[in-house]
Amino acid sequence: MSNFRRLLGYLRPYRYRVFLAVFLMFMVTLTALPLPRIIQFVIDRVLPHHMWHTLNWIFWIIIGIYLFRGIVSFSLNYLIGWLGQRVVFDLRFHSYRHLNRLSLSYYDQRQTGKIMARAVDDINVIQYMITGGFVTLITDMLTLVLVIPVIFLMNVKLALIAMAVVPIYVFNYKLFLKKIRPLSVEIRKSWDALIGTLQEKISGITVVKAFVRENFETEQFIKTIRLNYDLQMTQATLNRILAATATIIRAVGTGLVYWIGAKLVGVHTLKVGELVAFTGYIGYLYDPALRLVDFNVQAQWAGASMDRVFEVLDTRPEITDAPNAKSMSNLKGSVTFRHVSFGYSRDNQALIDINLDVQPGEVIAIVGPSGAGKTTLVNLIARFYDATEGAILIDGVDIRQIRLESVRRQIGYVSQESLLFSVSLAENIRYGRNDATREQIIQAAKNADLHDFIMTLPDGYDTKIGEEGIKLSVGQKQRMAIARATLTNPRILILDDATSALDSKTEANVQAALEKLMKGRTNFVIAHRLATIMNADRIVVMDKGRIVDIGTHAELVAREGVYQNLYNEQFKSAQDEALAELLG
Amino acid sequence: MVLIAILTVITAGLGLPGPLIVAHLIDSLFKHHSINLFLVFLALVGIAAGTGLVGYALTFAVTYLGQQFKMEMRRRLYSHMQTLSLGYFEKNQIGKMMSNITNDVATLDQLISGSFVRLMQDSATLIGVLVIVFIKDWKLALVALSVSPFYVANYLLHIGHIKKAADDVREERDVMLGDLQEKLAGAMVVKSYAKERTEVRQFVGQTRNLLDLNVDLSMLGTRLWTIAEFIGSGCGVALIIWYGGREEMMNRLSPGNLVAFISFITGYMYGPILRLIQLNDQFARTNAALNRIFGTLDTEPNIQNKPEAKVMPDIKGHVEYKHVWFEYEPGQPVLKDINLDIKPGMMVAFVGQSGSGKTTMINLLSRHYDVTDGAILVDGYDLRDVTIDSLRKQVGVVIQETILFNTSIRENIRYGKLDATNEEVEEAARAANIAHVIEALPKGYDTLIGESGIKLSGGEKQRIAIARAILSDPRILVLDEATSSLDSETESLIQEALDHLMKGRTSFVVAHRLSTIVASDLIVVMEKGVIREAGSHIELLQQGGIYASLYNQQFKVALESREAEGVKL
Repeated sequence: MSNFRRLLGYLRPYRYRVFLAVFLMFMVTLTALPLPRIIQFVIDRVLPHHMWHTLNWIFWIIIGIYLFRGIVSFSLNYLIGWLGQRVVFDLRFHSYRHLNRLSLSYYDQRQTGKIMARAVDDINVIQYMITGGFVTLITDMLTLVLVIPVIFLMNVKLALIAMAVVPIYVFNYKLFLKKIRPLSVEIRKSWDALIGTLQEKISGITVVKAFVRENFETEQFIKTIRLNYDLQMTQATLNRILAATATIIRAVGTGLVYWIGAKLVGVHTLKVGELVAFTGYIGYLYDPALRLVDFNVQAQWAGASMDRVFEVLDTRPEITDAPNAKSMSNLKGSVTFRHVSFGYSRDNQALIDINLDVQPGEVIAIVGPSGAGKTTLVNLIARFYDATEGAILIDGVDIRQIRLESVRRQIGYVSQESLLFSVSLAENIRYGRNDATREQIIQAAKNADLHDFIMTLPDGYDTKIGEEGIKLSVGQKQRMAIARATLTNPRILILDDATSALDSKTEANVQAALEKLMKGRTNFVIAHRLATIMNADRIVVMDKGRIVDIGTHAELVAREGVYQNLYNEQFKSAQDEALAELLG
Repeated sequence: MVLIAILTVITAGLGLPGPLIVAHLIDSLFKHHSINLFLVFLALVGIAAGTGLVGYALTFAVTYLGQQFKMEMRRRLYSHMQTLSLGYFEKNQIGKMMSNITNDVATLDQLISGSFVRLMQDSATLIGVLVIVFIKDWKLALVALSVSPFYVANYLLHIGHIKKAADDVREERDVMLGDLQEKLAGAMVVKSYAKERTEVRQFVGQTRNLLDLNVDLSMLGTRLWTIAEFIGSGCGVALIIWYGGREEMMNRLSPGNLVAFISFITGYMYGPILRLIQLNDQFARTNAALNRIFGTLDTEPNIQNKPEAKVMPDIKGHVEYKHVWFEYEPGQPVLKDINLDIKPGMMVAFVGQSGSGKTTMINLLSRHYDVTDGAILVDGYDLRDVTIDSLRKQVGVVIQETILFNTSIRENIRYGKLDATNEEVEEAARAANIAHVIEALPKGYDTLIGESGIKLSGGEKQRIAIARAILSDPRILVLDEATSSLDSETESLIQEALDHLMKGRTSFVVAHRLSTIVASDLIVVMEKGVIREAGSHIELLQQGGIYASLYNQQFKVALESREAEGVKL
């Protein structure tokens, strides 16, 4: 229930419109009341007394009432439509803004499909409930409030009889509610699983195909839809039983009214028209009760959806700006790690007591076996995660005291996986800097050794990639990512294995361009190829989350240790061959 | 289906006697005739019970049908997508493919379990009511029907606009969904460029458009329904009371029948008429979904088994490329007249710039694409003459981009061989040099990866992928940059494992690091889709061509540094 209250909170900014809507609902409900009375009047008075003139008047009165009702209900529905859409808009906006605030660790742990489902499907369900369920519920309640006094005023005895079946109805409803509620949650979960599987297996289709697992995957998928199917069937059955029982209870009520009512007419304590009007009114009494079933289903769905939407909104971003965080626009680029420790989870330390002082303009290479913590180290500089212990300082200021945006804007980060968007090549390169000129984009592409390739494409820089566009090789994607990063002219450049997929020749070209670009910036380079590493000012050797050695290539290679081993490993086999070659 | 039709007609029929019974009751009351009130009560309750029961059966049948249909449709779509070639997946956004299976099918279900039933029920009700009212009083019936042309006209006037508005909404929503999916999946990039606010602003722009369009749509709908209610309930009822009242006063109509008329007309006539016309719109909407569904189902996989395709027996691994040409886009050949003869057990390395066609060579071998011209033979079988399954089962591939699924490490490795025992899985992990990492985890092989699981480094993921390939025990092994994100130490450990694995198998290796490939039996140097050099390491160095210069370039630095350190050559 607290979720519903919270949802109502989203209506608060529009409270005057909501009040207006409720008032209009009241008016609409009010206009429904006269008709049974008019029919009663016609039957009991007009017809027996042959009041021709009055009949003509009644015609125009009915038309008038409905005209009024039409105008009011049009305004009402328009208002409701607007409110529903507006709340959806607000919810979507809040969710998306919040999703963007959430740290990478949130995305690490969730499938994109599931996040999508929350931002789209769940919010839609909530909208249906606002525009459909809520409105019906309120109108129905208003109707009940208006009709109950009316029928009691007409005839207390009949009114009591009509009301007598209501408790049975409520009891019946409560009984089913208990079963339906957990079911809705289950259905939602099974739908989630279905979406998750789809997303994962469609994006991983290369693996599915490589291992000839198409049939296996289809079977797995059928299991998921089967579960969803079973649950939906159970829910449909329950709902239908509830509806059927409700219909019968209602008929008993109506039947009783006719029975007793007709007897009353027989003893002249009730007129026929009154009976007809009365049965008209008890329709207003029972219909809302029947509709509660529908509303219930809707509310259950919406409740489950609200849980999920609010769960997203309630997830606290791990990385946020400190209240007094300052904006630092022109970094010099010194980076200091002070006793930094970090773990993705409690019992899994990725970095242990890292101390490192990097001067502006330095090129730092980070080497070490996989799992040593290299990527984690650079992720902390870009503040994708916060250090668990210790602090990272940029230009002497703790990065938690600097506005996130101002740090990241001055960091160029090329990650291991090159993600590009389904827009043109030029727009992808420009992603980091919207005001870049064509010349700057071309220069960035040239630096990444991409320009010649792009010029061979019929549409050049306007070639679209992704859907309906061309397919880039992994090496080309990597170079796109490099072009994108260099265009932003960052103070700190981070290259995480950014050239791994390039062949030696392309790599040498890109490397030469990068060396030029690295001048005057602080650079962190993770690489496996020693050729890339050897030119660094300093090399940081990492192993199992610790820095085990720091020095220049010449220093490190002369010392026994991890670096020397790495160096020897990589060159041993090749060099033997090369030596054999050179020695003839 | 027949059952549903019968049940529908019964439900519709059960709605009709109610007003008639009430009419009878009222007339008896007026004329002070005695009437068995208990019978009236029983009849009303009985009808309701009947309606409830039949309605229950009907809903059950319809839901069953609809859900069955949905399940079958989703199964078909999904299994069909599985048969489609990689090219299809590269061309289509994941979000749209997903929406095909989820939303489009749901739209279809709405038509089936919603509209079809309503169509039958409404037709039955309408026919029943028309018959009854015309028998009772044909003049009054005509009066009641006289407003229906306005009713229909109102609908027809609106529907064009509504359809257009609905299309606009859908289009805008698709744009929003596509973007959303991409930007959420690319959260890393958005964050590194601190573009969150721009993205949010853009998203707001899209949703704001969507809001406006939706409000327009809902306004149109509201106008349609409001006018419809005014014409039907307002004018219709007013007319009946007015005309029926006159008739009654002239003793041509009983008061009971007047009441029955009002409830027939308001409850049973205008509603069905409108819904029947509305079906048209429903069909149009469903049509779009149907088009997309059939579009998918009709997409022929580029790669198909020939009808007479044979199951490829256990192969030795003799691979021949004979005058192979290939183009992704017509007129832009990626491979030009490739000829290669690879004997069983050979290790072949492909070297060349990115875009030179190395990965394509490999993709053709697993038949993700078919050659444009020429042929690829394995053990003398043209790849196009054998079933795809039997081929791919014998070709193990480890690709550049490591894809693991959201399940335990064990299940991920086992994906290579579904019936593998735990021992086999662990052995494969050991062979891929990842066992010690896994065993150090608190939950070992049962550790979940991905969502709600642990985060693995790039090198660890790749080693799991290698373990997965090792477990599948293929005759032909393809390593496409499989070791690129491993550091030299780990790589040399894996290389060891791979050397073991490659023994006795034909293996294809794409790598940029020459140290990985010097041991190959055959090194193929490619440039712009053509084989420029082929031979062993020694042979190629002696030739002094492209390979020799690549090699020297990569090792120059190293050799110089050694010299600088005074290492004696």
